[in-house]
Amino acid sequence: MSATLIPEAAPAASAMRRNFWNGVWRVMKRKPSRMAGVVIIAGFIVMAVIGPILLPEHLPGNASAITQPPSWDHWFGTDPQGRDVTSLVIKGSRYVLLTALVTAIITVVAGTAIGLFSGFKRGRWDTVLMRLTDMKLTIPGLPLLLVLATVWKFGNPLQMGLVLGLLGWGGVARAVRSQTLSLRERGFIEAARGLGLSTTHIIGRELLPSMAPYIAMNMLIAVTGAVYSQVGLFFLGVLPYESDNWGVMLNLAVFQAGAMITPNALGYLLAPLLAILLLTLGIVLVVDAMDEIFNPRLREE
Amino acid sequence: MALIARRLAGHLARGFVMILVVATISFFIINNIPGDPMAARYEKLVEQGMSPEAAAQAVKVLYGFLPDGTLWQQYTDYMTGLLHLDLGMSVSRPGTPVLDVLTDAAKWTVLPVLVGTLLSFLVGIVLGVYAAIKRTGKLGDALAISGSLLHGIPQYVLAMLLVVIFATLIPILPADGTVDILFEPGFNAGYLGSLAEHAVLPVVTYALSAYGGWILAMKSSVVTVLGDDFILAAELRGMKRSIVFRYIARNAILPLFTMLALSLGLLLGGAVFIEKIFNYPGLGWLLISGVQDRDYGLMGGAFLLITVGTIIANIVADLFYTVIDPRVRSGEEGS
Repeated sequence: MSATLIPEAAPAASAMRRNFWNGVWRVMKRKPSRMAGVVIIAGFIVMAVIGPILLPEHLPGNASAITQPPSWDHWFGTDPQGRDVTSLVIKGSRYVLLTALVTAIITVVAGTAIGLFSGFKRGRWDTVLMRLTDMKLTIPGLPLLLVLATVWKFGNPLQMGLVLGLLGWGGVARAVRSQTLSLRERGFIEAARGLGLSTTHIIGRELLPSMAPYIAMNMLIAVTGAVYSQVGLFFLGVLPYESDNWGVMLNLAVFQAGAMITPNALGYLLAPLLAILLLTLGIVLVVDAMDEIFNPRLREE
Repeated sequence: MALIARRLAGHLARGFVMILVVATISFFIINNIPGDPMAARYEKLVEQGMSPEAAAQAVKVLYGFLPDGTLWQQYTDYMTGLLHLDLGMSVSRPGTPVLDVLTDAAKWTVLPVLVGTLLSFLVGIVLGVYAAIKRTGKLGDALAISGSLLHGIPQYVLAMLLVVIFATLIPILPADGTVDILFEPGFNAGYLGSLAEHAVLPVVTYALSAYGGWILAMKSSVVTVLGDDFILAAELRGMKRSIVFRYIARNAILPLFTMLALSLGLLLGGAVFIEKIFNYPGLGWLLISGVQDRDYGLMGGAFLLITVGTIIANIVADLFYTVIDPRVRSGEEGS
């Protein structure tokens, strides 16, 4: 019986996948703002992947053109070492995006696993895990990161992403757990259990797909959160200045070039700020589509 | 009342465990700082001619534990010190106990955070009701968008934009420190005016960064309540609009009180950015300067105090919620 099922299931699954991507494309096309969000995010990814390859490892400085206001040669001016600010933003994007990606993966995988386990098993483990989650949610994250910065130097974006991810799964775990608790009482889960389907099947095929929009949304929120906290940490100046990160630029612009007082350095301050805002805008615009992509009832016209 | 007392007891027990956890974290971090600042200080004191015992005691005064004890001994020393509210001495401010530095700084954090929170709460709630009732109109849309935008912008970006606009481009407000040094400290108009003037931008930043959350939450809460049967029933019975409105507001506002705790906690954590940018010497500012000046006692103390503040805010908000919501009050078992 199962032998005849398997060859049938494979093409069906791939057709489903194709349908899914078609659906994504249709949902995205419906509003121009969503396409704009996709384009912005794609642009940042291209910038992070290709940009540092095209630029020299150490950007050339120009001692006779330090802290210049924006001009045709340097769209956002130059920094106090005479380097082009636009190139600095492009170089910084790799660290920022790589950290965000690692954080998002860890947050979602750990948060979903813990939330599912907790909500599905319930009982003693649920209580213990949720107490732990509450604790994590109560400890203010940024001060904790600051204190950790004395021991850890976060020279590498993967390390930064790892720490941010390990500190950040609490919110996702809570959301997934409450979703699991309410979904497990619904008819289709009970029916699946009545049919004697395995727990793996129930979780993988029934529960997870219904929670996908929440998880996807939480992942995007985790990405923005990771961008903010890492840039903020570098901005506060407690981490080494050698890293290519927008936060280092913000710190030098404000506390060295005096960008908040002298208009000349304003470009140096505004370029990384605009990059952060643009990336956030792209993510927010795409989040708007998540509900429609995963909710079949909204998808049908 | 018994329920409130039981909840309070539970909260206090959990809060105590939390503080223990956080204190343990800060102990291990201070104990593992690269370069071993404790050993360096100990050796320097011995070189300066101090006897090893006296030098060890001097280091203990600074860090809360002996440099050469076993880990367990160091840990118990540190914790006993904390129990006696002894956070050690500040290294960057010689001769001042960390606790004094912290209590001095706390007012610069607590007052602006409280004022900013209340301000954003009130404005956000009023506008949130408005955005919900007018949700199909242009104004409702505009309010909701303003909420999402301000909710999405990180605090430090907001703070920097405010400084650039109101202190550099249109220099009408100060953005550096807590008060003009020209004024004689005391109860005179010039000094108090300068204090207030310096507080405007930090408070507005706190308020703006929290406002987005309030307006969005209040809007969705009101929309949910509007669909409830009892509102329809009240309207059908021909009750006055103002009374129906009061029904809506009372029910919609309840879930927001739990958010108040989270928001206070978030703002306390965010104090790090705002105080750094406005050079406002509160707890967040001390935390950063503790990290930068390698004043680890001060760093640990500031971290602990910020966490304790967050925990207390959580407890107060939860109890407050118990008091104002009749359903929780009479319920036999709260969640």
